[in-house]
Amino acid sequence: VKPAPAADPRRAALDAELLGWMRESRWERDDERFERLALGSFRFQFEHCPPYRRFCQGRGVTPSSARSWRELPCVPTGAFKELVLCSFPPQRTRHRFLTSGTSTAQRGALHLDTLELYEASLLPTFRRHVLPDLAPGARARICVLAPSRGEQPESSLSHMFDVVLAELGDAQSGHFVSGDRLDVEALLARIDSTPADRPLVLCGTAFAFVHLLDDAERRGRSFHLPGSARIMETGGFKGRSRELSRAELHGLLELRLGVPPERVVNQYGMTELGSQFYDSVLARPGEPRRKLGPPWARVAIVDPRSGKPAAPGEAGVITVVDLANSGSVCALQTADLGRARGDGFEVLGREPGAEERGCSIATDLLLSDGQA
Amino acid sequence: VTPDEIRSRLEKLRKAGVALRRHPAVATLEALARVLDAWHDAVSPLRRELERELPAATGFSPAMVRMGLRCGLQEFRGDALRALAARELGGAPRLDAAGSEMVSGFETTAVLLAGQIPMPTLVALIAPLVLRSPVLAKASSRDPITPRLVARSIAEMDAELGDCVEVVEIPGDDEAGVGALLESDCVVATGSDSTVASVAARVAPPRRFVGYGHRVSVAALGQAATRGRALAEECEGLALDVALWDQLGCLSPVAVYVASPEAGAAGRVAEELADALARAEERWPRGEVDVAAAGRIAHERAEAELRCAAGRDVTLYAQEHFTVVREESAAARPAPLHRFVRVHPVGGPGELCAALHPLAAHLAGVALAGFGADTHGVARELADLGASRLCRPGRLQRPPLGWRHDNRGVLTPLARFTDLEPTG
Repeated sequence: VKPAPAADPRRAALDAELLGWMRESRWERDDERFERLALGSFRFQFEHCPPYRRFCQGRGVTPSSARSWRELPCVPTGAFKELVLCSFPPQRTRHRFLTSGTSTAQRGALHLDTLELYEASLLPTFRRHVLPDLAPGARARICVLAPSRGEQPESSLSHMFDVVLAELGDAQSGHFVSGDRLDVEALLARIDSTPADRPLVLCGTAFAFVHLLDDAERRGRSFHLPGSARIMETGGFKGRSRELSRAELHGLLELRLGVPPERVVNQYGMTELGSQFYDSVLARPGEPRRKLGPPWARVAIVDPRSGKPAAPGEAGVITVVDLANSGSVCALQTADLGRARGDGFEVLGREPGAEERGCSIATDLLLSDGQA
Repeated sequence: VTPDEIRSRLEKLRKAGVALRRHPAVATLEALARVLDAWHDAVSPLRRELERELPAATGFSPAMVRMGLRCGLQEFRGDALRALAARELGGAPRLDAAGSEMVSGFETTAVLLAGQIPMPTLVALIAPLVLRSPVLAKASSRDPITPRLVARSIAEMDAELGDCVEVVEIPGDDEAGVGALLESDCVVATGSDSTVASVAARVAPPRRFVGYGHRVSVAALGQAATRGRALAEECEGLALDVALWDQLGCLSPVAVYVASPEAGAAGRVAEELADALARAEERWPRGEVDVAAAGRIAHERAEAELRCAAGRDVTLYAQEHFTVVREESAAARPAPLHRFVRVHPVGGPGELCAALHPLAAHLAGVALAGFGADTHGVARELADLGASRLCRPGRLQRPPLGWRHDNRGVLTPLARFTDLEPTG
């Protein structure tokens, strides 16, 4: 779909500067630029997204009072399930991405008037964290364990994979999931035909990898993918496969596919965000595993009890200011817990695994229905 | 505690059970009745010790623990235990005598405790003993205090009965240790639905499995409870029900359904309840909240704020230690607990059960008020929906000892019944 031009000149100027940043070959933190763009976007969104404006006013934060991106009121991701939060006239909506879930669950929706920023953000981030060794102009063999955009037009993940395939994949790259079916034989044949010197990427949903592993186990087979192989997995399992911890999944990927954990990259992303975060293992080999994102997205770990940044190493709520969300709201509060780790963070998930304190239950656990 | 040590304790319990069953069941029942009377006594050393130690172990505030125990143990008396044995077993003699209806306990009962609310622990340890089934209890990691004290109280009352109780502290993920516990003849597991299901899968017949998963409670107010003095009284009661055990118990209401055709009724209830919760905080302060729960609360508060900002008919009343959200509809929403209550408007009594339907599978108690002549009709519908206890606001946290938790008896799930018909 051809991107619609941003109607508002201020938004267009912000987007243009951000696009320029995304297309730079440099990949470095730029505090001054981030701060300026974050506050500029906040001003724009404050003025053009009335629910967000009133939300911020209720918290006593306005464009004239905010001095730092850390002060921007964060919208909870759950709000996207029932509110249209966009900073452009709704009639200009060109795309709608929905959060995963079943037909009975209320699904969150991100409305976009352009995909330009989304695509410009995802490509260099994917490349840097999954294919840092890909030579300029070269292409990789990319096997996607997720349905295509044609099958799931409202899945941001399918859209992301399609963009990656188009821009970074070779002619034999493609999808190996259609409907709910994973075509294991075709996948293995495509892996086998990959030239030894070509980077090989298996990317997809975590539950698709579980199905692949289960299939291998059923057949009593193990594979040893070539040394150039790496895996990118994302999302949860709930309701789609048996549940595994990340460590268990990565262990099985090594056991059954021969891809060691240091070549398995978990992506942390969500429909409500324009940018994604990836495990550092390929981009920064030899360093502790942590999530890293692009310079135009910042994460703050906030102690929900005080509303202030969590002490270093302490768990808190993951909040994100993502400049790629120029059409909606940049400052988001996720439902996930995390912990700062060096220049990145680690995701602890929604439930830290502690035993329940009482015999009641937080009813989101009763009411949830396969939502990611 | 190693798995072998657990097996050895189980063996010791089997022997203690044989000795116990040489005495009349009535004697055991009387000893247990005296134990309950001791726990009921607010100035008993046991109660004082629990009040003193529980806050540090659990993070609850001392004042809340005192009030929680006062309410929670109000109906826990020796007489209530005698009445329970009569109601569910036909009396203790049926455990001894041969007759047309005979009752036996299992040789041993393992109890896997969860959470940090003391009353369920007390019942869980005493109930098998009424049937003269020795108890091997795995303490909850969140409350090692209560089972230890209950075991001691039993031993102090009757040394031989005390030999029939063992408490072990092992981590829930100690597969081998839990496996040894599960070699008991009857296994009672409490906890999340997934925990209960995973334990159930490991207990094969002929061993008995009794599981208690998580439950939620709610309140329902009819038109007559939404104005004037009745409104103030019922909200005061609800605030107590919410505040005790920081809303973490299965009898803690997570939502209030205001069944009234009047548009402003839910708003009045929410406002009054918020005021009452503010007062409750002064008397029974909320305890510690871990970061995960605080995150859920922050998320739901922000979500409500945003819905208000978007022009939805929602009102948020929040102070540091409690949250009340007056919702625009009856649709069920996440309840993060720790004194977070949603007030839902419902068109009238006829729509109440439909509104509660999403919670039906986990529904425990419903606090009811203000339905006047409709009360019995509403109660019948709630019973059909699966609620196991209906009471007035302010009474939820004072369950009778014989409350049929999970719609079944207290003792019967742990018993084996034998009918004797004429023989040849």
